[in-house]
Amino acid sequence: MSDRGRERSEFLAESAEILETLGRDLLVLDEGRGGELDPELLNGIFRGAHSLKGLAGMFGEDRLATLAHAAEDLLDHLRLGKVEASDPVVDSLVEVVDVLQALLAEASREETTGALGSRATGLAARLRGLTQATAPAQVDLLDQLDLDPATRKVFTEYEEHRLRENLRKGMSLYRVRAEFDLSDFDVGLAKLNGQLKPLGEVISTLPSQRPGDETGIAFDLIYGTRRPERELLAALEGTPATAERLGRLEPAALAPEPPAAPVGKTPKKPRRAKGAKPLPPAPAVSNVTALPSSNGAAPARADSEASLRSLTETVRVDIRRLDSLMNAVGELLLIKGNLQRLAESAGHSSAIGPSRAWSQELTRESRALERKLEEVQEGLLGARMVPLGQVFEKLARLVRRLARDAGKELELVLSGGEVELDKLIVEELSDPLMHTIRNAIDHGIEAPEVREAQGKPRKGRISLRAVQRGNRVLLEVSDDGAGINEERVREVAVQRGLLTADEARELPTREAQNLIFTPGFSTARSISELSGRGVGLDVVKTNIASLSGLIDVHSERGNGTTFEITLPVTLAIVRALVVGAEGRTYAIPLSGVLEILSLSASEVRTVERRELLPVRGRTLPLVRLAPLFGHGPGTTGPLFALVLGLAQERIALVVDQLHGQQDIVVKPLGGRLSHIRGISGATDLGNRQTVLVLDVGALIEDSVAPEWKAEAL
Amino acid sequence: MSRFAEQLERFFYDPQEALPPGLELPEPRVQPSARQAPPDERLCFRLENEWYALPVSLVREVSRVAPLTEVPRAPASLLGVMNLRGEVLPVYDLKLRLRLATRPAPIAGPRADRTGLPRSARVIILRSPRGDAAVLVDAVQDVVRLMPAEVEPPPRGTAERDGIVGLGRRGDRLWILLDPEAVLG
Amino acid sequence: MGFKVLIVEDSKASRDFIAAAVEAVAGVRAISTHSGFEALKLLPRHKFDLIITDINMPDINGLELINFVKKNPNYRRTPLFIITTEGREQDRERGLALGAVEYLVKPFEPQSLEGLLRRYLGL
Repeated sequence: MSDRGRERSEFLAESAEILETLGRDLLVLDEGRGGELDPELLNGIFRGAHSLKGLAGMFGEDRLATLAHAAEDLLDHLRLGKVEASDPVVDSLVEVVDVLQALLAEASREETTGALGSRATGLAARLRGLTQATAPAQVDLLDQLDLDPATRKVFTEYEEHRLRENLRKGMSLYRVRAEFDLSDFDVGLAKLNGQLKPLGEVISTLPSQRPGDETGIAFDLIYGTRRPERELLAALEGTPATAERLGRLEPAALAPEPPAAPVGKTPKKPRRAKGAKPLPPAPAVSNVTALPSSNGAAPARADSEASLRSLTETVRVDIRRLDSLMNAVGELLLIKGNLQRLAESAGHSSAIGPSRAWSQELTRESRALERKLEEVQEGLLGARMVPLGQVFEKLARLVRRLARDAGKELELVLSGGEVELDKLIVEELSDPLMHTIRNAIDHGIEAPEVREAQGKPRKGRISLRAVQRGNRVLLEVSDDGAGINEERVREVAVQRGLLTADEARELPTREAQNLIFTPGFSTARSISELSGRGVGLDVVKTNIASLSGLIDVHSERGNGTTFEITLPVTLAIVRALVVGAEGRTYAIPLSGVLEILSLSASEVRTVERRELLPVRGRTLPLVRLAPLFGHGPGTTGPLFALVLGLAQERIALVVDQLHGQQDIVVKPLGGRLSHIRGISGATDLGNRQTVLVLDVGALIEDSVAPEWKAEAL
Repeated sequence: MSRFAEQLERFFYDPQEALPPGLELPEPRVQPSARQAPPDERLCFRLENEWYALPVSLVREVSRVAPLTEVPRAPASLLGVMNLRGEVLPVYDLKLRLRLATRPAPIAGPRADRTGLPRSARVIILRSPRGDAAVLVDAVQDVVRLMPAEVEPPPRGTAERDGIVGLGRRGDRLWILLDPEAVLG
Repeated sequence: MGFKVLIVEDSKASRDFIAAAVEAVAGVRAISTHSGFEALKLLPRHKFDLIITDINMPDINGLELINFVKKNPNYRRTPLFIITTEGREQDRERGLALGAVEYLVKPFEPQSLEGLLRRYLGL
């Protein structure tokens, strides 16, 4: 990749990471509406927006930069206490993350759509409007704090604001001073912070160094707390720190002021003359040193250490690097296989003692190698795993907004956020899950009044549950809404020409419900505001299928609907069926093979020269692999039919031979060959021969012509 | 031990086995200096009786002809895919592209016949923005540095043989200069 | 002998962007770090010819870093640039008052940073 390309992909990765954190933090802010704002949380959110703005600006992503800028300004006002965290403010901040995410997605695809652009512009304008509404100015309490101006000069605007807030709330302010060795001051400082943070707020950290002292470094922490001084002293026990209290010049002004005092009503305290020489800190403070206290129970310090160190204990790795490592392990496994074969044939072919012993030795060693390689393989797969909670958080935010917009009341119940899936799958999963949930909100959950009339609680309930089952993860999206209107589904299917009226009548319930996944089938009456276009459940099905997953639906009229999504835990290694057709070998992911039948020619029916195979009451399109791929007619001997299925579709694929099952690492065919239909990649079976992997989804799609669909159902 | 010979040969077989002696790929010039035009460095190879040359800077490596796997539904000039240390690479038949042959070399698939393949045959792996790819050649010769004076425009009438960007001439040696992107199509 | 420039910036992409602009000037090497703490550790171990710092950082703020650097006799005369964003005028003014010589407002063109580097390093 070019430098430019690498820089850009780093920009995209970092922005995505910032947005993820922003989303998580805003969720906390959203949930804590009306309560006291946590300054650290708010400042973190501000910093996120700030970094994103800077990044986007540097990479010429103006739309992202403009919106992040507007958000940053609003957040800045919020953290500086100039704006209150009202509902409209929090709502628009929550929306900002969604729009920024959409903008970033477009940026990564290098596209720009007008709809999103105008949504971003509108939102930015709204944010600016909210930023204008400033809270009344207050008397500068900071002027009353006995702090030398040189120190005050190094505070950022935000730090000054925090100082003011602490003063306003009647906190005592201290200067906590500690000296450390330059080599490991961060560890000492983390420990010190760990002692201080539970009791109050570390507002600023000021480093200083004595001239000539090259190995030591001192820090002044400006610290605010409500706790009595002796508690602070107890907390500092065992640390190299001393604390001195910062005095106030006008003790009379200490009485907490009424919040949001109108300008003018509070008489302005006489300001300290600007030119006056500041007093050295000593006279105005009570100088105290940490003394051993009798009941000095030291608060948890491990926590704080962990919190600072965690910054360095995780690394971000490009998933492609993991892929290439996985490739290397795959190669090693092949070499190991060759070693094993060598060892075995040496054992068989020789009756001579030493050679036999040598062969046994070799076999043992290659087994050990195999075990270690499997460990490495597992480790690599583990490194790709991320908890589903990442997607859940995004969805939780979205659900709140969608419900508000749709005028519905509902609660979202999440469980199984700790279940882990391959990073690639988790990323691809958020869209289909979002559409499924949106479908539940739009069509499942009834309006509050309707629910009450039916004796249901006003608040609807949508639950999202993840459970791991072996190598698969089951995801359930269920609602307690109206359920699928099966009669309406049958009607629409007839209107759309998918079924005849008779067929529609006779269709079993389960299959009728599954009609909602048919392309073009949608009973939705409104275009979704969320995505700007109506997205049907057929798209959800396709998305899930592309992850080698399955989706199914169960619904009970009046009681709700459940969507069941089954996914493999990882895409990197799949179990495959190895088959032969006219001397060629292909691998088929076992996740797509539902059944293996031996085929006798008499079972095959022909309709308009298309071959069909009845399987348990269902008539499946029959596809012969050898002619399909231009390899010739295929053998005339015994054949096998594999029932392939993805989501609701089924076909029967005819092959000449079955060679067995094997775990394979699927490698992409690369840009030049990616357009070849029916092939999803290649793999190595251990005999140096590259074997192509069939794309079950594409094979099914190509063979299930629309007119066969009704038949297949 | 002779019964293991084949297995050992297979075990120690390395697709990246040493190149023919005397052939050293120079480091590609990353930043050609603007002041002096660099000589055009090209890897020379043989197809039938003609000598061709590709820019060295775009050659990733030269390898022996590994077993190929046919790819269905692909253009005829795609001989198949090879496995290069875990990477799957397409291998194209240059002769078909340059119309030196009318049918692809029958070296992939169940009826593969490699007897027509000379012992000196190699695949040249080329870097390409659309995905790296390999071309099959009859033999790889060496690297030449062509000075601008040694390069001529392509002769008239070669238009139908796409990808020919000129001729290199030194003494009685002649190379047909190819543009890799055009050749890979 | 080349010049060494210290870059203190917590965003990796920004840091790399600045480092690339710095190293575009022949004879200049960029040493970059993601935090103020790391910068404090690096300062005595190297002799930097120029320092570029962000203001908003998680551990110590850029103003504190400037103040610290300017008090060190080894760095008293070392030119110091601030990287800042729009709307942070007060922080920027304070940085200049503390001894920074230039500020750059994100986003900026790499060429403008290159120009400033040449000027202050006398290239």
